[in-house]
Formats: sequence, structure tokens, C-alpha cells
Amino acid sequence: MGILGRYNGDRWAVYHADAFEFLAIIFALWQLDRTACIPGDNRPATIDRLTARVDGFIGDFPGKAVPTADQTDSRTQDVSWRELKQNFLAIEIYTSGSTGEPKPISKTMRQLEEELQSLETLWPSEPEAVIATVTHQHLYGLTFRLFWPFCTGRTFSRNLCEYPEDILRQASGWDRFSLISSPTHLRRLNDSLSWDKIADGCQYVLSAAAPLDRRDSLAVGELLQAPVREIYGSSETGAIAWRMQKNEAADALWQSLPGVQLSATVEGTLRVDFAYSDSVDPLILPDKVTFTSVDFFSLLGRVDRIVKIEGKRVSLAAIEHALLENSTLVEDVKALTIERQRVETAVVIQLTAEGNRVLADQGRKALIKGFKSELANEFEAVVLPRRWRFTDQIPYNPQGKISLESLQLMFEKEPVIWPKIIHQSVDGAQLLMECVAPAELAYFKGHFEEQPILPGIVQVHWAEAYGRQFLPLTGRFIRLEVIKFQKVIVPDQVLTITLKYDSEKMKLTFKYESDAGVHSSGRVCFE
Amino acid sequence: MSELHVELKQMIIDVLDLEDIEIDEIIDDEPLFVEGLGLDSIDALEIGLALQKNYDIQLKSDSEETKEHFSSINSLVELVKTHREK
Repeated sequence: MGILGRYNGDRWAVYHADAFEFLAIIFALWQLDRTACIPGDNRPATIDRLTARVDGFIGDFPGKAVPTADQTDSRTQDVSWRELKQNFLAIEIYTSGSTGEPKPISKTMRQLEEELQSLETLWPSEPEAVIATVTHQHLYGLTFRLFWPFCTGRTFSRNLCEYPEDILRQASGWDRFSLISSPTHLRRLNDSLSWDKIADGCQYVLSAAAPLDRRDSLAVGELLQAPVREIYGSSETGAIAWRMQKNEAADALWQSLPGVQLSATVEGTLRVDFAYSDSVDPLILPDKVTFTSVDFFSLLGRVDRIVKIEGKRVSLAAIEHALLENSTLVEDVKALTIERQRVETAVVIQLTAEGNRVLADQGRKALIKGFKSELANEFEAVVLPRRWRFTDQIPYNPQGKISLESLQLMFEKEPVIWPKIIHQSVDGAQLLMECVAPAELAYFKGHFEEQPILPGIVQVHWAEAYGRQFLPLTGRFIRLEVIKFQKVIVPDQVLTITLKYDSEKMKLTFKYESDAGVHSSGRVCFE
Repeated sequence: MSELHVELKQMIIDVLDLEDIEIDEIIDDEPLFVEGLGLDSIDALEIGLALQKNYDIQLKSDSEETKEHFSSINSLVELVKTHREK
């Protein structure tokens, strides 16, 4: 504080990986009546943009920050703390606006306090340590892993847990702990780690940034033997609702936090009123909602072109804008999200004549690499497009609109329809095949949502297909005999398939087996 | 390129669902993250999971050491080898 006092200016950008240092900087700024401007990252384009909005930089801004860390200042010990004014602009944070330009949002001390009070009303704090997989440079982490624990006298961890192993390591140091996380980590908690060692101490798990799949939520609850509370909110509003999944067929509904009143607008988007504050206007969020009763609702996605990739908000318009503006190679571009192993962004690009020359001369990879490194100045790696398609013409429909489906089709993956063969041997009219029914098989999709199993008809189909491929099977299918489906086949099941063909009777006998015993058997008859 | 090099490259391509990249295009000593292959923090999580599933490796050390292990194919190969010798 002594050091900062020597510099002028009311608005300071703060970035620091260490939560404790970060909080110390924030408090110093507040005591000096200054606003902490908190960016989500410290990449070059972010620093450039901030330069116009702030008077200086503190923390980890290479080459930009005022020196603080290596100086000790004895005067700080004499500081008498003073109370902060309610209407004081405590922080400014940034979020992707629909135009693509980051939108600044400021919060008063009162707003921050009211939010904590609301949380404390619903879930009174008990002594525990708070560990986190989310950064405090975003509002969710800032509130839940720093401000809330600090204001309620709970211990909080300085360091982020980057891997599931880090969670285990950090948590094992405490008798009681809570975990502040997001779907990014919670859906990837490796279930073969020894979670039982820390499950006793886990009081609850919090998830926010994006909805957590019910299946993941239940799995985490099982692993950590603790309630998994989901928070819904936005940078604009802070936390406004919560839910907890139950072992039921449908997703749990969201309900508002104390002091927050939620309703649907005529357009079906969410209106947020803060009961405590007459000074804060109601906010409309671009999320589609449907209310089943006054307090309970479900979320139906956004109405604009902002998407969330692993909980990080990104404007598709901003990606398009960045590609169009920065390059003489791009004639037209459309960004979209696709669902592969994870939800990711992808782009379809119509190149200029120059762009096509570069594509021909340097190849696809070099071209994409160039675009990507350009985008990396401005966007976090996680939201960068992972798939690129170059086309002669962006597919507009007769109304002059681009159909999302035609774009998505360009990224479709060949569906997986065969087992993964580990080993096979043919002996005369008999085939022995060791294989896996991979989880990504198209047949598991929707059959069934809760418990995917391999349909019986597929097993018969595989038997016939491999029979025709490896055995002297010919002729036309006429009927099935003595078909038995005894045990279900689940995703990633390792199987042994035995096929025998009797050419005289023109019958193919099949049997699916595993360590668990016989799954199915039967005969397929031909003529 | 050893068998293990090939195996780990194939694992990375499979678990990350990478497009436009063949095994022989992943360079042994090139960085996996940022430049080089250009992987991100989610990919790191996925690789961590796959190492556990395929090789029973737990990322014991601090994040700095993990970063070291994840820096290139060569360092991943070393990690798996050391683990096997134990």
C-alpha cells in the first residue's frame, strides 16, 4: 500500500496467480479508494485494451507492472484500516459482449457484500479450507474462493488445482474442505484415483461457469460423498440461482438465491431483480428460460452468438471479426460450435484469391497455424477453433441466410459402427474374434440415455457381416433361430465373438462372451 | 522413433480427437502446448487422464514438474519409462 500510494491514478489492473498476493493487492487498492480492474487473463491483446482504461498495472504483467513484489515496506504495518464506502466502485471485470468487444462491468462494495450475504443465508459457513480449480481472475472464483471464505474466516488455498491429482494433494492436508470447481474439471475427475481418502473431509462441491451434466454431478457426489451444488449466474449479475441434481430421470430445476427475484420476460429471457437494492436496475440476461413455478426454472440456452467453451464465454462474432480484420486472406468466415469429444469452436472460411494462393503454396497446416497464432493474441487457447474448413463459397440458403446445419455437416465425423478388433483368427469355418464395443459406437447413442447398451439387432448384424467377410458364408438371410440375449453389453466391454458356419445347413452360429459369461447367442439361417 | 513414441503419439491423437495430424508429424522434442502442437489446458487434463488409464501413472509432483513431463513427446516417453522401471 505504501508503494501504491506513491503512484497516482484511481484505476489499476490486477493480475496475480497467487490468490493471497492478489487479495493483498486488492485490499491495498481499496484502502486507497481505488478500483481494481480484473482481467480474465494477461495476454497481449488484453493488456493493450486495458491500457486505455487503467492508470497502471500491478502483478503479473510482464514489462508493464509497477514493481512491488521485491520491495518490503515497513510503513504498511502502521496502516489503520478504514471502513469502505458502500457505493464505492470496488472492482471492474470484463466479459464478452455480443459485438465481440469485451464489456466492462463494475461492482460496488455493496453489491459484493449483498451477494455474500445471500450465499451465507442459504449456506451458512463452517470452518473449513476452500480449494479451487477455477481462477480468481473471474467473478465466480473471485466470489467463491476468495471473498466469501475470507469474509467468513475460512482458510483458502493460494494455489489453483490444475489436475485432479492436485485436488487430492491439497485436500488431504485438511480435515474439512470444500471444492470450488467447474464442469471442466468435474467431468474429468479420474475415478481410479483414491478419492475415498479425502471424501470424509469433503463438505460440498460447487460448480459454476456452465451447467454440469446430471451424470457428472451424480458421479462427483458419489466419489466425494458430498453434495454437489451448482451455481448459475453471470458477470453482470453475480450468482443468482442454484440447483442440486437428484437421482431422477430429469435435470433438477434452478431456484433463485435469497434476495434475488427471477422471472421471464415476454421474449422468454431471464429478468433479474435484486430485492435488497433499490439502486440496482433489473437486468435482463440473454438466456432463454422456462418457469415451471414461481421460483423454479430451467435454462434453454442463449439467444445471441455468445457461447461457452469449457465454461469460458466467447463471442463467435468476435472470432469472425478477428479473422476478417487481421487478414487479407479471408473473404468471408463463419464461426460455430460443434460437439465432438468436447464442445469446441470451429470455423468455415472462404479465402480470397491471395488466401487460396497461400493455401496452394504453403498448405493447409501452415495457413491454419498462421490464423491460430493471430487469434491466440486475443483469445484464450481453450476457445480457439480446433477444426477448420476452407470452402469456395460459404453456404447461404436462398433467403440469404447461412444454415447452421449445412455448416455443421462440414464437421461431421464418420459414425463408429464396428467394434475395435484386438485379435482375430479363422480356422476353417470358425472365426474367433477378440474385440471391444467402444463407447463412441453410434448404437449406444440414445439406447438408452441413462444406461447405454448394445442393441441385439446390432449383434446379429455384426455376426452376419463378419461371417460374410471371413467365413464361406453366402446366400440370403431368411430367419433367426434360438436367439438368446442373456446379458447386456455395455460401452467399452471387451468381448469374444465366436462364429461357426455350417455350409450344408447354411446356418451361422454366433456367441458373444466376456469374463462375465455369455452375453448372447443364436443362429442365423440363410438360403 | 521408438514403439513407445508411436504409442504415445497415437494416444494423444485419439484422446484429443486431433484433426489434420499424423503420427510422423508430431515432432519428438517439439513443445506440445502453445507453439508446436498448440494444445490447451483442457488437453492437458485429458492427457493426464489417459496416462492414468493406460499406464497407471499418477501426476504426483507439483504442477511445475507436471509441466516438465508434458513439455514434449520425449519427456512423456521418459515419464512412462521411469514409471515402468519402478
